[in-house]
Amino acid sequence: MFAVRVENLIKTYDSRRVLDGVNLNVHEGEFYALMGPNGSGKTTLAAIIAAVKTQDSGIVEVYGNNPAQAKKLIGYVPQENFSSPRLSGRENLAYFASLLGYSRSRANQLVAEMLNNVGLSQEADKRVANYSGGMRKRLEVATVIFPGIKVLILDEPTTGLDPAARRSFFGLIQEIMDKKASIILITHIGSDAELASRVGLIDNGKMIAEGTPDELKRKHAVEDVITVETAVKGDSVLSVLKGYSINGKVAESGAGYKIYSQNGDRILADVVRSLDQTGQKVMRIEMARPTLEDVFFRLTERHLEEATG
Amino acid sequence: MAWPIIWVIIGSFSFTGGAPQEVVPYIRGSIATTMMVFALMIGGMSNLPASIAGDRENGLLSKLISMPIKPYRDFTGRILAVISLSLLAAALVMAIGLALGARFTAAGAHILQAIGFVFPVIFASAGVGLMAGTLIKNLQGAIMTGVGIAVVTSAISGLFAPYQFLPAPLQTFSRVYPISSAQASMAYLLAGPNMVAYNPLTSGQVTLTIVLSFALLIVGIVLYSRLGWKLE
Repeated sequence: MFAVRVENLIKTYDSRRVLDGVNLNVHEGEFYALMGPNGSGKTTLAAIIAAVKTQDSGIVEVYGNNPAQAKKLIGYVPQENFSSPRLSGRENLAYFASLLGYSRSRANQLVAEMLNNVGLSQEADKRVANYSGGMRKRLEVATVIFPGIKVLILDEPTTGLDPAARRSFFGLIQEIMDKKASIILITHIGSDAELASRVGLIDNGKMIAEGTPDELKRKHAVEDVITVETAVKGDSVLSVLKGYSINGKVAESGAGYKIYSQNGDRILADVVRSLDQTGQKVMRIEMARPTLEDVFFRLTERHLEEATG
Repeated sequence: MAWPIIWVIIGSFSFTGGAPQEVVPYIRGSIATTMMVFALMIGGMSNLPASIAGDRENGLLSKLISMPIKPYRDFTGRILAVISLSLLAAALVMAIGLALGARFTAAGAHILQAIGFVFPVIFASAGVGLMAGTLIKNLQGAIMTGVGIAVVTSAISGLFAPYQFLPAPLQTFSRVYPISSAQASMAYLLAGPNMVAYNPLTSGQVTLTIVLSFALLIVGIVLYSRLGWKLE
């Protein structure tokens, strides 16, 4: 039995189909990342699995049950910071424990354990208003590790966190994984999705690819990725780079551009020379193996960050 | 909550200018009662929808809906919080009114009866607040809608103006609207019959007030449970 099974899921808002026949299976104990840009339907899909929204048609099951009947098994962390900044971390968790019907003594014991699990024991009695973004997100993740919860749905949990906080956050996720819970991570950040055992790419309400990160990269982005930064960006640079990239695809990337080539090491010097001949000074050029963002670009011809922005 | 307090202070001095000196404390008492009722209205009609819409915006409502809990646990907590806050605000408004010279003719049982009429005001306001919080999704919109309903219904039900100056249809509304009717009952009990243009303590009027205040609360609860917690 799958921990989560989604079959031919359709959801429409105001005549716009935000989920269009989505299929998805998550195994027990699996870390599954659902990656896509804003508006791709991933948050709606998460909310449906979390029993917060209902679908127009299709099947959604959590351990074989309708999500509304399986709420005891589901732990949902919405994208927004829902913890109360006026309460301490301990008081916030005690509030959720009381809603779940735990006695005061059992709640106190559980809350202390959970605070310890998410590394917030020392800050337990500080007001959440004084927490960093990473601490607050860890506190909110603690609300989904109450006993009995087997499917965790985390919607963009690392948005706005600095690299150290993100590392710490995924350390926490690893600990949760060790407890055999299934995790569905909703994200638009490729490096976060790389940590999952399987990744589903979603765009315009449709699953466009699914597999392990390595499988996705092998299948959909076999090329090398060359990042080029010139002194000035512009059409003349673009026209040169298009000549070297497969199918003429060039993606914006920070201060420069990315191109895709099946023999990157051979064309690096040619790219520099061609740009030099058109009067463009190359500030930086480097070659790397593709990331999941590159896979998304190859499949949709849109850069994930641009689509997200 | 600041407005009722400000109006008690302003009203206690500016609305008593032409009145005979011996009546002024009772006019101030009437003003304090009105503003106490208004504070209760704001608590239910504005603070309650603000808490619902705020929790919707910050994701807490989604979080609660995803949990294995029933909506009643949520709205009971919200209503109890509003009752606590409203009673605190009402006590503060009344204390300021008394400090500024408000006096009442009532004693003993009449005071207790008057306090009893606080509850129809709270229940009706909470009912309206639950409706506003359910139907208005945006935080600022929910707050403004609640304040708007409180101010407009106060104005047209004679809370801010003498009942006898209202046109006939609004006089009818004033008697039917449980909040103005409860306020009239409080004024009648605390300041005496001369402060109210009709007798709001007839059994029919009192029954109507109680039934309609509960009706508003129940409609609010049903709407909130069905639509506020609705799985979209």
